[in-house]
Amino acid sequence: MTETDDNKTLTSVKVDTNFRLPGVAFCAAAGEQASTLYFGCSDFGVYRLESTAEKPEAVAISEQRHHSYVTGIVRRGPVLVSGSYDGSIVWWTAETGEIIHRAERAHDKWIRQLAISPDKSIVASVGDDMKTRLWDAETHAAIAAWDGYESTTPHGYPSMLYAVAFSPDGKWLATGNRTGRVLVRAVATGEPAAELETPVMYTWDPKARRHSIGGVRSLAFSHDSKRLAVGGMGQVGNIDHLQGNSRIEIFDWQSGERQHEIEDSKYKGLVECLAFGPEDRWLVAAGGDNSGFVSVYGTAETEAKLLAQEKAPMHVHDFVLNENGSALTAVGHEQGCVISLA
Amino acid sequence: MMLPPRFHLHGLTALLLLLPSANGSDLLPPTADIPAVIDHYVDAKLQSYGTAAVAPTSDDILLRRTTLDLAGRIPTAAERTWYLQQPVEQRRALLVDRLLQLPDSAFHQRNELDALLLYNRPHDREFRNYLLWAAREDRRWDQIFRDLLLAQEAEGPLQGATQFLKSRIRQVDDVTNDTAVLFFGVNISCAKCHDHPLVADWKQDHFYGMQSFFSRTYQTKKNTIAEKLFDEVKFTTTAGESRVASYLFLTGSMAEDGTPEYTDEERKAIEEKVRNAERKDDSEIPVPDFSPRRQLVELALNDTTDLFFAGNIVNRIWARLTGTGLVTPLDQMHSENPPSHPELLDWLSRDLQQHGYDLKRLIRGIVLSDVYARSSEWTSDDEPPSAQLFAVARTRPLTPYQLAVSLQVASRNPDQWPAIDTDGDWAKVREDLENQAGGWVREFEQPGDNFQVAVDEALFFSNNARIQDDLLRDTGDRIVGCLKTIDNDDQQIETLWQTVVCRSPTPEERQAALDWLTRSDNRTSAVQQLTWALMSGPEFRFNH
Amino acid sequence: MLHNSEPDVLQTLSRRGLLATTAAGLTTAAAHMGRINTLQAAPYTDALKQTDKRVILLWLAGGASQFETWDPKPGTRNGGPFQAIPTNATGVHISELLPQLAQRMQHTAIIRSLNTKIADHGNGASLMETGRVADPGLSYPDMGAVVARELGRIDSRVPDYVSLYTATEGRRKGTSGFLGARYAPMFLSDSMVPPNLTRLESVSDVAHQDRAALRDLFARAFTQTHPSETVASHQSAYQRVRGLMSSEQLFNVEHEPAEVRARYGPTQFGEQCLIARRLVEAGVPFVKVARAWWDSHGQNFETHQELCADLDHSMSVLLDDLHERGLLENTLVITLGEFGRTPKINASLGRDHFASAWSCSLSGLGIRGGVAYGKTAPEGATVVDGEASAGDLFATILAALGIDHQHEYMVGSRPVPIADFGSTPIAEVLA
Repeated sequence: MTETDDNKTLTSVKVDTNFRLPGVAFCAAAGEQASTLYFGCSDFGVYRLESTAEKPEAVAISEQRHHSYVTGIVRRGPVLVSGSYDGSIVWWTAETGEIIHRAERAHDKWIRQLAISPDKSIVASVGDDMKTRLWDAETHAAIAAWDGYESTTPHGYPSMLYAVAFSPDGKWLATGNRTGRVLVRAVATGEPAAELETPVMYTWDPKARRHSIGGVRSLAFSHDSKRLAVGGMGQVGNIDHLQGNSRIEIFDWQSGERQHEIEDSKYKGLVECLAFGPEDRWLVAAGGDNSGFVSVYGTAETEAKLLAQEKAPMHVHDFVLNENGSALTAVGHEQGCVISLA
Repeated sequence: MMLPPRFHLHGLTALLLLLPSANGSDLLPPTADIPAVIDHYVDAKLQSYGTAAVAPTSDDILLRRTTLDLAGRIPTAAERTWYLQQPVEQRRALLVDRLLQLPDSAFHQRNELDALLLYNRPHDREFRNYLLWAAREDRRWDQIFRDLLLAQEAEGPLQGATQFLKSRIRQVDDVTNDTAVLFFGVNISCAKCHDHPLVADWKQDHFYGMQSFFSRTYQTKKNTIAEKLFDEVKFTTTAGESRVASYLFLTGSMAEDGTPEYTDEERKAIEEKVRNAERKDDSEIPVPDFSPRRQLVELALNDTTDLFFAGNIVNRIWARLTGTGLVTPLDQMHSENPPSHPELLDWLSRDLQQHGYDLKRLIRGIVLSDVYARSSEWTSDDEPPSAQLFAVARTRPLTPYQLAVSLQVASRNPDQWPAIDTDGDWAKVREDLENQAGGWVREFEQPGDNFQVAVDEALFFSNNARIQDDLLRDTGDRIVGCLKTIDNDDQQIETLWQTVVCRSPTPEERQAALDWLTRSDNRTSAVQQLTWALMSGPEFRFNH
Repeated sequence: MLHNSEPDVLQTLSRRGLLATTAAGLTTAAAHMGRINTLQAAPYTDALKQTDKRVILLWLAGGASQFETWDPKPGTRNGGPFQAIPTNATGVHISELLPQLAQRMQHTAIIRSLNTKIADHGNGASLMETGRVADPGLSYPDMGAVVARELGRIDSRVPDYVSLYTATEGRRKGTSGFLGARYAPMFLSDSMVPPNLTRLESVSDVAHQDRAALRDLFARAFTQTHPSETVASHQSAYQRVRGLMSSEQLFNVEHEPAEVRARYGPTQFGEQCLIARRLVEAGVPFVKVARAWWDSHGQNFETHQELCADLDHSMSVLLDDLHERGLLENTLVITLGEFGRTPKINASLGRDHFASAWSCSLSGLGIRGGVAYGKTAPEGATVVDGEASAGDLFATILAALGIDHQHEYMVGSRPVPIADFGSTPIAEVLA
């Protein structure tokens, strides 16, 4: 593991190892050991993988599975919590794969993402029923259910609620939907603290194809909880493909000021996951179209500068960034990889 | 589900001596006048059938017919006056020669060839500009064929010729079949899957032979047409045998394969270059020593016995001017589908070839024949004679350009035309007409076999604002504006009929029009509706 | 009688008199039309024309996924995230994206075993529209033109083939091929009302009517002395103008009660389905509503969440509405695109073009409801039972309409069967 020098700028993103996965992995969570990775898969299973092994191999934690794609996973000590397009949230013993609790109809439609509060007490889930739900991570009890989103797009089609993130201070929860609407709410009360719009991330094609593409796919707060990064894709000409520029907007969310708009035409497609590096000096983003990318932007300056980027071996759906920001483990389309940042 | 073996009945496409050989011995002498030859052969057949031709049409109608066919538009009243002033015996020849000299004729020939060669395929102005240039330069048909098939990059108007291949090259079957249909009058598509079931000589070898002339052709990233240095067309016969196609022309003549021997390494290097040429703007395009397309051009032009190349265009021009091919359908020139007048087709094909593929000569010859000048009216209760006897002239729908330009001519104030001549202002005015017509042609369908006028067209004439606000506008530059300035009703009606249908009204028509005008309480509107009634009528819509 | 125009008619010209004359002229022209017919056989189903049969084609342009519609494979490697749900037809399951249609399977037969091979948009669409591979030598009519010819009435005051395709991607106008422009579609691309159907304000209704009569009067001598199908088609086109103009209100959904409009919902596809219902109710034999664009190379599942929601709702309301009005027993609803989509899910979570094993549905007239015909392999890559070609589907549609699929058109000297050589109707889906 490389030491990161505080004064040194990050200049390199490099794929160290990559490994096959049993399907499309949509979400990942780190294990108690940093080298252990848990992920949810398109074969409806939850898997464990040792990323430092010579040939990392994915092993299902249980014979039991969800009934559809597993799209959200978080960990609280020895317990994993997973959410799925089947609408259920399941608490598992990570080690044995034993099911502790199953919230069968946690959402009426697809669950898109889970997040866990920094103190690991609350699990948040978002789904296409356009609800944001909070769960007691320990007792599995439903704590709150928030609306705040239209169930259809302005064009009359079903909307989707894709992304959710806690602020590091534990006070705020951000969510983002298909049409680019981001809400930040007080975790304690559910009171909206900010409404942000990222309309560029939603493309409605009224003429050629008459449907839409896009949406807010990833959210990340800075470590000081003041800034919020929103990931998705820019406007798309041909919405048959993920052809838009990958796009990030960074807000001073309390004032609503949009500090940075980042679009990358070299690596196109969706920004599926985002994380701020140590001391918020940079922001790492990953995602893709038919292939994938990992990009790192300096965020301290007035201008968000591209520090380094690399083609990923696959479309990246999620990653786990290690604590000192020197490496991330990414999962995605039938593959995963370990990427070093230096 | 058990399916019977696929069997294409549409495949009456074979080759082989489509045209009885033009050895000349049985034909009228090559020095004979074209019109006389046409009348001789057509009349001979009529006699053998015991059928009489109808009488010649009137001067008015013949003037209109000839002007539409050679200038692509209806004549003006001034042209009618000129025509009727010419000595009766020489009138037609003087008219034809005058029309062929006018700038109109190049526009019309361009539009006809455009419709033939690239109709319904995307192409830009460059192709139309090339055809216009070729028509103005009197470029011969064999040369146009070379331009289109060799598709060489060039400066100036020749550049547009490359579009013939560019618009088709993505589908090699299309290039193959379209070339056979458009230049040789044979539709070989059915022979892709199997040998012809009825005509023994027509094999899969012929389809794939034709395809092999094109299989190396590709479009580069620079948007030029190029040929690969090697490629083979392989196919599987219905018996399951795998074959490599030869460079086989329809006549049975073959071109030697002049592809040099390449080592495997050379092949790899060449393939890499071709791939680059297909993908990169700035890459070098490898040039072959052996060009299959050039072989096809030479084989076709050196065919002195079957005359596929000459026979096809003779048949197409004949059909254009009379409404019916000597062989019909036009893409079925094969032994199972003989011409109605084999000697005539042979004679005209020989004449065309011997006179350097001069289409103007052919066109002039046809329109000066008695066959061309027959009446199109059929007033008997009996069924009319078969179209292939040419006893009655066919009523032919105008092409989109003929109709659009004629609408422009008919709607103009007839007093405002410049002198229609080979020089002076007319060339500019005619070009403007052509451009204006370009904005209308999409409203009309290109006529094909069994053509029917769509209700869309009738709705367009009935309710589109452009008809009312443009063609029927009552300003001084329009016919309606002109009629408003004429006090005398009779004179108004006469001018309207002359301008729109190129003749005087019959007494009944005159009376009906007069009644219409006198009963109206809004004169301008009445004149507009009267003009509309003539312009939307069948007499205007057809060449008759 | 060719010279039957009484000269005194011209002398007694008056507005009303003029119109009377026109009516007489109309009869004469109509008599001529039957006289020469290059497509030798007249529409052979004159009796059929009296039966008021109709077709609505819901064209899923771009290619809908069979997995996300009629042939779900949940739990398989490439099955995708959606569940299969039971329908009201015993044993038949379809995608959870079509919950409303699942409750209306009594009207619908699914065909899951299309193998049409051609997987590019242009040629695939041409294949499925005409039921045969394009022949460079012969321009085939599409399904709409064939139905217009066989089921439309020559004197109809409504259009006999209407095609709505308002999205631009993959837009195809439709073709009447060798049947001629008489059977070409009235094509709506930019507006919900066909072009040129509305009288200009600057032309009064009386003037519009009278000038048409004047036109017919002047046309009469020419039409009579130039007997040809082409000339007759020109005349009959003009004679249909006034009738078609009166059908303009059919395209205006404002004439529908608010609750009916609300039922069809806010989407353009829903509104066009309502127009289709209005048209068939008024006697239009063939209406195509194209819903573009299903070409989900990226984000297949989300695309189908949007488009299937639209399809499920609009088609369900359409079937209900037709049924409640007693029209469904006379109306065949076809739901079809140019091909299906690959089993393999690509890295953009998309599915690509696939024509080797895919589905369509037929509802209403002549169809045995509640049937799922044919079978694909567990992963959906191949047809394992009941393989059907485009020609077989075409033959099945014709059979449902009571048209002999082996009937031949004579094109010049060429006999061309309505459905492709060797095609067979699928008896299992026919009532």
